[in-house]
Amino acid sequence: MTTITTAAPTGRLSEAWRWRLLLAATVAALIIIWQLLVTFGVVERVFLPPPGEVAGEFFGLVRTGEFWSAFLRSFRNLVVGVVIAVVFGVSIGLFVGWLPVLRITAAPFLWILYATPKVALAPVIILAFGLGDTSKVALVVLLAIFPILLNTMEGAAAVSGSLVDAGRVFGLKGIPFGVKIVLPATLPYSLAGVQRGAVLGFTGVVLGEFLGGAGGLGHMLEYAAFQFDMARAIALVIVMVVIANLTLRLINFLRRRLAPWYDDEVIGR
Amino acid sequence: MTATSAVRRRPGVSVAGWLGSLAWPGKAAVIAVELAIAILLWQWLVTGAGVINAVFVPAPSSIADALGDIIRDGTLADNAAVSLRSWLTGFILAVIIGLPVGLLMGGSLPVNRIAGPIAWTVYATPSVAYQPLAKAWFGFGTGPVVFLVTISAVFPLLLNTAAGMQTTNRSHVSAARVYGASRFDLYRKVFLPSTIPFVFTGLRQAATLATIGMTVAELSGSSSGMGALIIRSSNMYRTDASYAAIVVIIAWSVATTLLIIAVERLTTPWTRVRR
Repeated sequence: MTTITTAAPTGRLSEAWRWRLLLAATVAALIIIWQLLVTFGVVERVFLPPPGEVAGEFFGLVRTGEFWSAFLRSFRNLVVGVVIAVVFGVSIGLFVGWLPVLRITAAPFLWILYATPKVALAPVIILAFGLGDTSKVALVVLLAIFPILLNTMEGAAAVSGSLVDAGRVFGLKGIPFGVKIVLPATLPYSLAGVQRGAVLGFTGVVLGEFLGGAGGLGHMLEYAAFQFDMARAIALVIVMVVIANLTLRLINFLRRRLAPWYDDEVIGR
Repeated sequence: MTATSAVRRRPGVSVAGWLGSLAWPGKAAVIAVELAIAILLWQWLVTGAGVINAVFVPAPSSIADALGDIIRDGTLADNAAVSLRSWLTGFILAVIIGLPVGLLMGGSLPVNRIAGPIAWTVYATPSVAYQPLAKAWFGFGTGPVVFLVTISAVFPLLLNTAAGMQTTNRSHVSAARVYGASRFDLYRKVFLPSTIPFVFTGLRQAATLATIGMTVAELSGSSSGMGALIIRSSNMYRTDASYAAIVVIIAWSVATTLLIIAVERLTTPWTRVRR
């Protein structure tokens, strides 16, 4: 413990790389164990194909147009839904957070809505909006909007008094005041909300495609599992893990670029 | 504090000042009145004004009727029992796995450096993605539901527990060492009290995610359970029954959260100061 903290900066860098190598070795070991489990028949090949087969399926899959059109369809629905959720979530959140009357009267409702498992509404949404893309976008908006809205609200309510006073001194009022003072101070909170919203939106897209399957990655995965094509199903799950993690990293990156003055720890809770 | 600064900002708005000055029973009353107005408005929009299609969003009165129906004919009890069993099994499995692994991760740097990134990667992916695999592996019964509840609940618990162990005050640990605490004493008297609040935070998040996981799994390909009840009803255009089932799931979600908070307050009074 102490050796790490007192190590020279260069030593620390190699320390980080050592951990990374160790992590890679662990993952490699897990894959070897997976292979051995299949080779020695501990698990049935039908249930869990060997890693080589899954990798082959993965690289075969990303070369097909079918995969990319499914990917684009899911991704488009997710992005459209999240953008709508951001537009409405941020504007409503700013209003509710900034106006004390709304904060006391409307916020408890929004918290209740935030806490309810809205995925349960998925069948009704599909019934109302049909099997096409509209129902998926609607599901994404429904699931993604509340974390964005509530984080923005919390952020707007916590804008520091000195920023407010500075804005007043420069004679800002109304919409310009909101755009110049409240919005930037709230941005890191909103982005933390967008991060959670995007994850929930992902759930919305995939679930929507499971239930009202008309193309998309979720439908492709559901179909592969239904056909008991496990190599393909696992390859698709890996694709989803990659997409989900890349999306989170992208938003994290944006958060650091757009609002570098805020600490992760401060916004965390 | 917020109320006074708000009044200072806009001296004209007195409603906010009045609302802010209310004690909690007053605020609760205001919210109860609002809730009543919202339900009446909803009822009127559907049945009176006919602005909302009653098939997609039924009136509160028909949802209440449908709730009465599914209570009387036993549908609710049957499906809720199935869901409850899956939820509890999955949640208990998540605690059995998540707590020790979290303690191990928090207590040992190598374990944390190796298991941490793997846990975060799996946790970042919504558990819905694992559902088709669960269905292929565990069949069409409650197996996939239990799997999804466990995988949804285990990571928040595990990661919060690990974080709690890591944020234990180092000087407390050193002090305990100076007084000759054994390894067991160190865990029992230093790490445990400071980690417990994090464990409860993890349990709260886990309970919410477990309910979502359960619902997702039961919606996509279960023959019984609350999710199956929702989808069966909506497939028959009996959306009032779907909404009734949704109301029960919401009540379930709120109840589990409140229960965990209550247990936390009872068992760990030393964390109350911070709230």
